[in-house]
Amino acid sequence: MNDTKITVWFRLLWMFLKVNILSPSGPASIGFLYEEAVGKIMSEERFVEAVGFSNVLPGSEALKLAMFVGFSAGGLPGVFAALCGAILPPTALMLIVAALLQKVQHEDWLTGFVAGMSPAVAALIVVVAWELFRAGSRRKVDRRVMLIAALSAIAFWFEIPSPFVLLGAGMLGVILFGRRSYR
Amino acid sequence: MDPLLELFWIFLKVNLLSTSGPASVGLLYHEVVGKLVTEGQFVQAVGLSSVLPGSDALQLAMYIGYAVAGIPGGFVALVASILPPTVIILGVTMILHRLRREAWLSNFIEGLTPAISVLMLFVAWKIFQKGGSTGWEGWGIGAVSLLAMFLNAPARIVVILAGLVGIFFLK
Repeated sequence: MNDTKITVWFRLLWMFLKVNILSPSGPASIGFLYEEAVGKIMSEERFVEAVGFSNVLPGSEALKLAMFVGFSAGGLPGVFAALCGAILPPTALMLIVAALLQKVQHEDWLTGFVAGMSPAVAALIVVVAWELFRAGSRRKVDRRVMLIAALSAIAFWFEIPSPFVLLGAGMLGVILFGRRSYR
Repeated sequence: MDPLLELFWIFLKVNLLSTSGPASVGLLYHEVVGKLVTEGQFVQAVGLSSVLPGSDALQLAMYIGYAVAGIPGGFVALVASILPPTVIILGVTMILHRLRREAWLSNFIEGLTPAISVLMLFVAWKIFQKGGSTGWEGWGIGAVSLLAMFLNAPARIVVILAGLVGIFFLK
């Protein structure tokens, strides 16, 4: 019986290694993970629940998904197996690249590369911001969402420290969106 | 403050206030650029984390931690990024049923989201402005990348191509 448990842990570790090597970010890995996990080690319903929760709770999405899937397939040890699989590939790769880059930090071609990358990275951030804005309010973008967006724009403009603005926006959300539950 | 402690605190904070790697870029920018890393290093971190496979949040942590304080810095930033979601998930799986009825948490996130989007727009503008080229080349690369990504071109290819264009045309 112990044997089957250990196989599940190894399976989890291998699965998350694979998913995290082949997909560039948390949200992008969902589709891939779905094919790997659903029907084999967890039900569709639990997978949907896992995705829902990892959208709502703070912290890296990929990690939260890994932990949910790991937990429902193999309990607490499953969590750690999945976590190891999800953490190892991206960080090991980045460590190597970061170490290499620090050595060539002042080379001409790297300056050019960064200068070219800057507008594209800015564009990438705009795209993610737009997707986040659209997905964040599951209903239509209503007046309350616009109000929060406008208020935080003003706050950032006056250079109020961003953690305070974000906390304030969250609390405003609790107040504004909370009302609908009394209707 | 000791740089390792500072890294730990920053990544703990950023990972408590954002729900995914890409969304944390805005907040992270405000916390580290000018204090711990330069604008150029930050652009490298964001660009590379979208190019390399795996979680963006962890790669950002690894790059910035390493740039500030070498390998120990990378690991401190990593641990601080992993801690909040792990503790929360372990808590949630134990009190899952009770939390399901707690609407305030999802309302909090719903209020947080528009603010994060706005913050990201501000950061995008700053990165663009300080990125080295605000002449027609910079605007051109930015506009083409924006268009390509809205048409669902993979972000990592767009970012690499933009960098390559930079090597040849922006000196």
